[in-house]
Amino acid sequence: MDLVLQLLFTGIGIGAVYALVALGFVLIFRATNVVNFAQGEFSMVAAYLMVVCVELGLPYWLSFVIALSGMALLGVIFNLGVYYPLRHRTYLPVIIATIGASILLSNSVLAIYGPQPQVLQGWFDTPGIQLGPVYLDSQYLLIIGVTILLVLFNFWFFEKTLLGKKLQATSQDKEMASLLGISVSTMIMITFIYSAVLGGLAGILVAPVLFVSIQMGSTIALKAFAATIIGGFGDVAGAIVGGLALGVIETFGAAYISVPYKDGFAFLVLIAFLVFRPQGIFGERVAEKA
Amino acid sequence: MSASDNMIPAPAVRSKPLIIRHLPYFIGAAVLVALAASMQFDGYILNILLQATTFSIAVFGLSVVLGLCGQINLAQAAFFGFGAYAVGLGTADLHLNFWLCLVGACAITLVAGAFLGMSTLRLGGHYLAMVTISFQQIVTLVMINAVGVTHGPDGVANIRRPELFQSSQSYLAFCVAMLAIVGYLVWHLPDTKLGRAMRAVRDNELAAGVNGIDVFRTKVSAFAVCAVLGGLAGGLFAGGFAYVSPDQFSFAESIQFLTMSLLGGVASPIGSVIGTGLLILIPEWLRFLKSVPGLYLAIYGLSVILIIRFMPDGIWGFVSDAFTRWRAHTKAPPVAGALQLKPATTGGDIVLEVTGLSKHFGGLKAVDGVDIAVKRGSVHALIGPNGSGKTTTLNVLSGLYKATSGKIVLDGTDITSMAPHQRTAAGLGRTFQNIRLFRSMTALENVEIGAERPGNTMIGKGDDALTERAMEALTFVGLGNRANELISSFSYGHQRLIEIARALASNPTLLLLDEPAAGLNSTEKLELHELLKRIAAQGLTIFIIDHDMTLVSEAAQHITVLNFGRRIADGESMAVLRHPDVVSAYLGSE
Amino acid sequence: MKLTRREFSAGLAAGLAAPALMRSAWAQGATIKIGMCVPVTGPAAEQGLWAQNGAKLALAAVNKAGGVLGKQVELVIEDDQTTNPGIVLAFSKLAAQSDIVAFLGSIRSTQVQAMAPDVIKVGKPVMIGGTNPDLTHSGNPWLFRFRPNDNYSGRVIADYGVNTLGKKKWAIVHSTDAFGTAGGKALTEALTKLGAPPVLDQGYANQSQDFTPVVLAVKQSGADVLGTYFTFENDLGIFARQLRQLGVNIPWVGSPSVVAVSSTKLAGPALFGTYGVADFAEDSSDVAKSFGKAYRDAYKTAPDNQSAWPYDAITILSAAINKAGSTDPTKIREAILATQKFAGAEGEYNFDKNGDGLHGYNVVKNDKGKIVYDKHIDFND
Repeated sequence: MDLVLQLLFTGIGIGAVYALVALGFVLIFRATNVVNFAQGEFSMVAAYLMVVCVELGLPYWLSFVIALSGMALLGVIFNLGVYYPLRHRTYLPVIIATIGASILLSNSVLAIYGPQPQVLQGWFDTPGIQLGPVYLDSQYLLIIGVTILLVLFNFWFFEKTLLGKKLQATSQDKEMASLLGISVSTMIMITFIYSAVLGGLAGILVAPVLFVSIQMGSTIALKAFAATIIGGFGDVAGAIVGGLALGVIETFGAAYISVPYKDGFAFLVLIAFLVFRPQGIFGERVAEKA
Repeated sequence: MSASDNMIPAPAVRSKPLIIRHLPYFIGAAVLVALAASMQFDGYILNILLQATTFSIAVFGLSVVLGLCGQINLAQAAFFGFGAYAVGLGTADLHLNFWLCLVGACAITLVAGAFLGMSTLRLGGHYLAMVTISFQQIVTLVMINAVGVTHGPDGVANIRRPELFQSSQSYLAFCVAMLAIVGYLVWHLPDTKLGRAMRAVRDNELAAGVNGIDVFRTKVSAFAVCAVLGGLAGGLFAGGFAYVSPDQFSFAESIQFLTMSLLGGVASPIGSVIGTGLLILIPEWLRFLKSVPGLYLAIYGLSVILIIRFMPDGIWGFVSDAFTRWRAHTKAPPVAGALQLKPATTGGDIVLEVTGLSKHFGGLKAVDGVDIAVKRGSVHALIGPNGSGKTTTLNVLSGLYKATSGKIVLDGTDITSMAPHQRTAAGLGRTFQNIRLFRSMTALENVEIGAERPGNTMIGKGDDALTERAMEALTFVGLGNRANELISSFSYGHQRLIEIARALASNPTLLLLDEPAAGLNSTEKLELHELLKRIAAQGLTIFIIDHDMTLVSEAAQHITVLNFGRRIADGESMAVLRHPDVVSAYLGSE
Repeated sequence: MKLTRREFSAGLAAGLAAPALMRSAWAQGATIKIGMCVPVTGPAAEQGLWAQNGAKLALAAVNKAGGVLGKQVELVIEDDQTTNPGIVLAFSKLAAQSDIVAFLGSIRSTQVQAMAPDVIKVGKPVMIGGTNPDLTHSGNPWLFRFRPNDNYSGRVIADYGVNTLGKKKWAIVHSTDAFGTAGGKALTEALTKLGAPPVLDQGYANQSQDFTPVVLAVKQSGADVLGTYFTFENDLGIFARQLRQLGVNIPWVGSPSVVAVSSTKLAGPALFGTYGVADFAEDSSDVAKSFGKAYRDAYKTAPDNQSAWPYDAITILSAAINKAGSTDPTKIREAILATQKFAGAEGEYNFDKNGDGLHGYNVVKNDKGKIVYDKHIDFND
């Protein structure tokens, strides 16, 4: 039982990481119908920005603010440089362009910062708490907390604010939105900024656990991607649940079936979902073919 | 004999054996093979060429699945790996004959590709991308962890080559020859029945379905062809480098294959070769940037973005685009005779019998218990105000929607639960309100796809007969002289005529026309009316939906009227149009 | 005078070839070239940089002492991109330059395996750092290893744990790549010979984000000593931290990555008190100490095995060419194989007939973040 609880905590912790990155995927997908293959690199870039700032001797909170502002800027550049010029084309060229962007980002960081993995201190000085038989890593607790806050925030933002509603309208029907006087390109710009910041936030939060390396983004992104499918593409709540489910499945699969095939479970579950329930856990909004 | 007689192109142009028409290609290929065999390359150049040659064959696969059929495959490296391991393990561990292993590699990838395709190709786009990524990841994991079979991460060493091609130079020549042969087949594929079906699916899945193409099977075939080419390429690669290991077949390699394909131009094998060559050479050329780690891969990433941005059809697409347009205008179409329509007459007097047909979307009863009986040889119209369920009825008839209840019998055959392409095979032809043509093809190719309907008794064997039938249909609607132009160069009205020609070429038993007059000007409407008369004169039954009362009242002998999904009137035209319920449905009742 | 056609074409060929011949003669006259395949890009770019540092340090020393055969030695570097196809291309590019007399290959065994067929074709000596025993045991006469192979690391880990620490219940954790799998196998065999077969043999895939299941498996196995083969330092760091967090504090003897510079930095206190085998330990000998000092002076960081083996390879290769008195590959080969009792930074080189130079490991300890030398264990077979 102790074992199960410990695995459950770890699974939820790592799942929350997937969920955070998955959220970024979903937002961009809903707004533009495009899967952003560079989403993982957003996390990586933010973590490096954070390391640079901390090394410069800036306070942690200020580094945090600077890193996230940097991500907002990257979101703008990414939209203008990668998505916007291709917005009238099919999804395929855009996917390829985001793959190109992912290669560009990771190798630019490599060129600038060198290949050495870096250490980033966590938010808290205490590494964790022992709660009965279960050890709770403080950084994972923080990640889980932030994920819960983000779920609430997203709900409030998209359901209660005017901007959120405009974003919703844009993602559902661009033509209708522009008829209503909403600037579609501004909404898409905001989406990219928000999703880059979210990706960055995920990167900064996991950096103390997984260290800061060039590859940190791509490994998480692939899982997050799977999580979005499990949750139902284009569904915010689905992404969160999908991420958590994936983390838990993976951890238990590794513990009880096979450690080396751990990454395989994620993809097996994914294929099972695609074949038997392509609309995901929550997906009801599957468009009728016309 | 005047000179102008000689200007008329001989209809026999096509019947000249392909081998002879394509002789320059084979001569060029032979020269390349000879060069590969005889020029003295150093080891570095040899390795680069070998890599480029084998990778190109794998990228050909992508040009089929992505370029021809419009489906994404992010697992080509996995298929490449299947082939490489088949040859590697076969020759090194089991000491089997190289050729046997190569055939085995193709067989294994064929099965794997078809299986993966069958399990997922009902889903499109992003889902397909995701499934193929997952497949790729699982294959990599198995290669690494199933140590007993694959040797795990150690990889397979001492892979053997065939006796005949022991030296690297002769093996390269052999690979170049394979490249030339496969390249020829892939190049020729778009002009075959399967190739046309793939292009149709890519351009417009719905239209492909109602023109008798089994969309799902076509996609699976494209996927399987892609996988086989990946396997063949992998097998050749393994023989060339004598060593394979799992990291050579990872997701990153699949992405690289995809980028190669897009860079060169996804639509053509020539593009594949260009893209592959460049993506192997560019990082080699950029090696001088190596003093800063990551710099050259960063530039590679940037180039990918720029190419996609400024050269969407790839390098070869860019070059060949102008050429295609020029050729389309200069090539004169072959001469065609008069179109013969001989609708099948197996059933009784009623060609289409619909009883109690309903289609519900959730709570909405779009069509509710409708009966229709279309008499053989007649023109029968279905009318009703907007939202009355006309188009839904048509979509249920042609199989795009499944009926909630009711029965549809076409010429004595119950087609209620058939897929669209099966209904087409049973003798149904249709057009769409919003025209659905295959946009990347010429008018002639569009109509050829119609003519290719399974069970079309009006065409003989071979491509010539197909072209002839299509030309007859195009000439019938008055566009025979523009057969080789791309769809985009036709006016809206003419596109509608091409769509009708496409349906006529298939020699249907019943022709469904979905608002054929929509968007036409008055002259075009007159022409359409004339065309309908000429079609009806050949005994083909027409079922038409339209708003245009003039057209309907003049063309149709029989009218069925729908309102709110229910039939409110049915009978001889003039009587129906004067029916008080019909009048009030159109004018609004108090 | 009348030229026959044959004379004419011979003259023409000579005329065409002359500039090229002269150029290569001039090039050969100027320097002795040694090719080096090293990751400049890809996941191991970091280690690649250190390898270059080590090689360059040795090169400077050799050249300062008068070079080889009276000429200066030059290093020609090609990026292997940390991939197998990458190293095949990089090596064939180097091999195409006929004036390169010998090569430095990779520290990664799979890469050496990938380039091995080409090495046989080229027929020139290649110094390697890959530790898979098979590399030098499969009939390829041109590979020379400058690190002890994995049989020895397994044997040393087992010997130290069983005989020095007195622990018999082993848990083994290894990566499932080539390095980890071979190492895990060697350790299991060595332990079985010592009468202490492992109670747990656990593989994991590289770049795992979480090791909780692995740690719990170790905990549940009831092992009283841990032996590991980790490939990547960030995996090791995550594992070490989770191991301590979940309260596993048994002695730990691991492969070189446990005591690598970057693992020490990444994992911090989680690795305090661990033992690692190290082919390089700065305090193990005077040569190692002086190498360490020179490296620190030049690059301001501590050296490790990634830089030590290329340092030794260049040093021994240069000495061998001098002894052979020629750049003839066969003579260089014989001279390398004849190298005995040669004190290098990695240890004492006694080449055997397979081309293995080293036959034992140092055991070092992480003493509160400082890597201190403990003992050297050598085998004679």
